[in-house]
Amino acid sequence: MTTPLIGVSNSILKIKELISHVANTCLNVLITGETGVGKEVIAQSLYSESIRSSENFVKINCAALPETLLESELYGFEKGAFTGAHKKRPGKFQTADKGVLFLDEIGDMPLSLQSKMLHVLQSGEFSPLGSDQDFKTDVWVIAATNHNLEKSIAQKMFREDLFYRLNIIKIHIPPLRERKEDISPLIEYYHRLYQSEYPNSNGSKPDSDTLAKLCQYEWPGNVRQLQNCIKKQMVLDSWAKIFDELPKEQESIPQLPEGDQQNNVPLSATNEFATNEFATNQTTIISEFVDLSTSSEKLFEDISLKKIKKLASDRVEKEVITFVLEKVGWNRSRAAKILKISYKTLLYKMNEFKVHPPVK
Amino acid sequence: MAGTCRLLIVDDNEDILSTFYEFFNSMNYEVKTAIDGFVALKVLRDKSNSFDCLITDLVMPNISGVGLISIVKKEYPHLKIIAMTGYGDQPGALASEAEADVVLFKPIDLFKIENTVSELMNLKTDKQK
Repeated sequence: MTTPLIGVSNSILKIKELISHVANTCLNVLITGETGVGKEVIAQSLYSESIRSSENFVKINCAALPETLLESELYGFEKGAFTGAHKKRPGKFQTADKGVLFLDEIGDMPLSLQSKMLHVLQSGEFSPLGSDQDFKTDVWVIAATNHNLEKSIAQKMFREDLFYRLNIIKIHIPPLRERKEDISPLIEYYHRLYQSEYPNSNGSKPDSDTLAKLCQYEWPGNVRQLQNCIKKQMVLDSWAKIFDELPKEQESIPQLPEGDQQNNVPLSATNEFATNEFATNQTTIISEFVDLSTSSEKLFEDISLKKIKKLASDRVEKEVITFVLEKVGWNRSRAAKILKISYKTLLYKMNEFKVHPPVK
Repeated sequence: MAGTCRLLIVDDNEDILSTFYEFFNSMNYEVKTAIDGFVALKVLRDKSNSFDCLITDLVMPNISGVGLISIVKKEYPHLKIIAMTGYGDQPGALASEAEADVVLFKPIDLFKIENTVSELMNLKTDKQK
């Protein structure tokens, strides 16, 4: 059974509208978002609204399989192609022909397979392992990842040409904490679903206080985490227990205002660099530019005075530019004069820092 | 002058969009703008609109320029398409593959684009007649 796309937030409504406009184009789609936001639900919605809905929806997780296995799963193999290939087996590109191939966790695909994938997307042809024949394939590729692929490209972990070929239509799903109005309808949906699945369970729905608390929580595991909580509730029937079992440091966030504000250290600053209280202020500043939660080895690698200088100055420059522009009613040539930079530099910086005049 | 030529200009940079709008407006084109491919698609599908030429950026959120071009080529084949890109060769190559009539690389001189538009519209040959 496919899960419908649940939500009333603007971002979800916009995604629904986008899906209805593009489902029939069968253009490559890239779905991005944190783990558990529902990337596969989006892929399923695209599929079920498309003209391909009567054909196969084939899913493959590019992170779950070792490289060689992933390759044979995608393209299939001929009998005798390698030790253990006792009989011919079709790959996902073949089973998904005329339908949808959902490439989950595409950001984790090894580079060598990325080039092969690019070739198939370009030519629409592939050959199974051990075969010298090329097969035509007509699949609608929908890919998903929780990685920032632009970053992976910069780190040479992802091919730029493959990125542009997949990124024809981009659907970004924001994390649940940024669309809290979706929490209530999601609870409603999953509560009803599990009640029908387990008619003997008697987990109650949250009352308004519990709901408020649920909405305050940050949901690092997004919809999937919420879904698991509701499943648990159907068995335990105790929201108090559910809250107890939520990851602690996250749960403490809504309670912070009651606690000691002075100790407002970022949660990540918990390693050797933040052990003593005296260092609190220092680590707070540093953590704005470097991820302190990683191991010290990785951290030392990440610390670069040049990079931090750029990040810090960018931030101040952005603030100053916005401040001046607001003062002069977004008159750019006046702002440039005040800032003592050229008009061109100002436009460049506005573009770089994404400083845009308010929409009229 | 160009007179009745109707343009749809798509770019996710508002500064560029307003510059283009003012420029082509002053050249007597009928101009509409859209901030990304999705907005552009909705403008196109609104029956009260009709266009002769589409000028689109390529790297944009929601529906990219390449996506928009592919859809337009299928649904509005009479529309002439100019693609503009500032992101190196990749998106440009994909735009050509999607059969954009012209692909230009940023930064682009506005008069050059206007020239390209009127060439595409055959306005020049009309004038010579």
